[in-house]
Amino acid sequence: MNAVDVIVHLSVSENNVTTSQLRRIYTMRQTQWPDGQPIVVFVLPKQHSLHQRFSKERLQIFPYQLERIWNKLTYSGLGVAPILVSTPEALIVAVMKTPGAIGYAETIVDKGVVNVINIEK
Amino acid sequence: MSSILKSNFQRIKMRTLLILNMTSVGLMMSGYCQGENFQVHGFAAQGIIDVNGSNYVNDDGALSTELTEIGLNASYSLTQTLRLAGQIVYLDGGNRYDDGVRVDYALLDWSAYSNENWQVNFYLGRYKNYHWLYSSTRDIPFTRPSIILPQSVYFDGFRDISVGADGGALKISHSSDTLGNFDFNISTGSSSISNEQTKIVMGDFALGEMKHSYDLQTSLYWQPLLSSWRFGLALLDSDFEYEAVAQGDMFIDADITLQRVIANVLYEGENWEFSGEVLQERFVLEDFYFDNFHRDSIGQGIYVQSRYKVNSDLTLLARYERYYANKDDRSGRELEASTGGFVPNYFGYQHDATLGLSYDLADNLRLQFEYHYIEGAARLTPVILPNPEVNDNESWQLWAMHLMYWF
Repeated sequence: MNAVDVIVHLSVSENNVTTSQLRRIYTMRQTQWPDGQPIVVFVLPKQHSLHQRFSKERLQIFPYQLERIWNKLTYSGLGVAPILVSTPEALIVAVMKTPGAIGYAETIVDKGVVNVINIEK
Repeated sequence: MSSILKSNFQRIKMRTLLILNMTSVGLMMSGYCQGENFQVHGFAAQGIIDVNGSNYVNDDGALSTELTEIGLNASYSLTQTLRLAGQIVYLDGGNRYDDGVRVDYALLDWSAYSNENWQVNFYLGRYKNYHWLYSSTRDIPFTRPSIILPQSVYFDGFRDISVGADGGALKISHSSDTLGNFDFNISTGSSSISNEQTKIVMGDFALGEMKHSYDLQTSLYWQPLLSSWRFGLALLDSDFEYEAVAQGDMFIDADITLQRVIANVLYEGENWEFSGEVLQERFVLEDFYFDNFHRDSIGQGIYVQSRYKVNSDLTLLARYERYYANKDDRSGRELEASTGGFVPNYFGYQHDATLGLSYDLADNLRLQFEYHYIEGAARLTPVILPNPEVNDNESWQLWAMHLMYWF
């Protein structure tokens, strides 16, 4: 099984993120890249196996915890949740097209289309 | 009788139409309205609820369909730091709270400061109560652990005055790479109180108007770095005024003060989850029945609950809760004596043992079921002038089933 890669739009200058930084981004506690560019977060449906693997392996957080955080933001007015896309292919396309975007992919992605960033422990 | 049947039929018809509309709006919206700057979400839930031995939902004890929650919200980013958000809900909970359509929140969110580790946001307008474990989404069925929330903290009789307010709120979030996540919230505002809500709190004999004149709430949450635990502390201070009408009112002009301290803890593991809240609340009544009447009592409540995820679809729930309206009169005997026996002692407490399960039929479709065994009537309404004629049982039971959809 391939590892889950974290992918970002070509405009994102970061090459590395830490697990806690990635967690901040996906729990919507960090909404800008260090250069001030807004982060646009994309996800797959909660039952998708790739989402579950990303959540547990990369974020080290259970998918239901993410869902709760996002539901609280969405249904109480506190903030905005990530944008849901339905397939891994659509997720790659969304990250490719959206400046500041972050997402994840399992298949080896053509490096010229999006950047793959390293996760530091 | 026929007019009651007719109005019930009209209500059910209206709710069915609303739910069907919401479902079709949801299916339509979920594909299109999920953009970077504009998002639309919503939910629709309908249930059946049966209460035996109290007027918690209805007076006649019949099986009820008064368990409806429908909502639609939108969020629109004006600029990188300014956002508009609002939600409209339709609620029907029988006697639990005023039924109808209402603006749940409508606010301007200003992201005043943001970097990798800090977020400072101001919320202006009608905001939600962001301070307790489930307060900000208490009407959102799929975000609750149970259909009926623990009444010590989430007392339905006080729903409209504790669900949110019109004013301003501030949230400061700090994410530290060594100490973990901190969230500090503070809010101040007031809520408008309907005549129905006044009667829910005070009783049918209250003809005057109740006003929510002051409300200050604050809370602090801490989640240690990469931990499954989270700890919270919340404080509330609020004042209400009752303006009696000159003739026929059972009460006179009065002041009510409600102060609360709530501590909570949450553990989220892969299969097991534990949570609980402990509450102390001070309830002060001035005047009310006659000039210089004064009652100052401190109530206490606690609940602990556990959820177990059997698999990705099925979750079981067990909860135990205790609540005392007056910590110095846990048996309620003084209450009974002070009212010359009119209010029985079991109005001094309310303890609830709950078992439940929820099953995800699809990604956004859930069926929930639960059973409550309750002893005591301290969290039944009206609060000020209880109704021992209808609530003539110390122990009562409740079961409910709820089908919910969201997008």
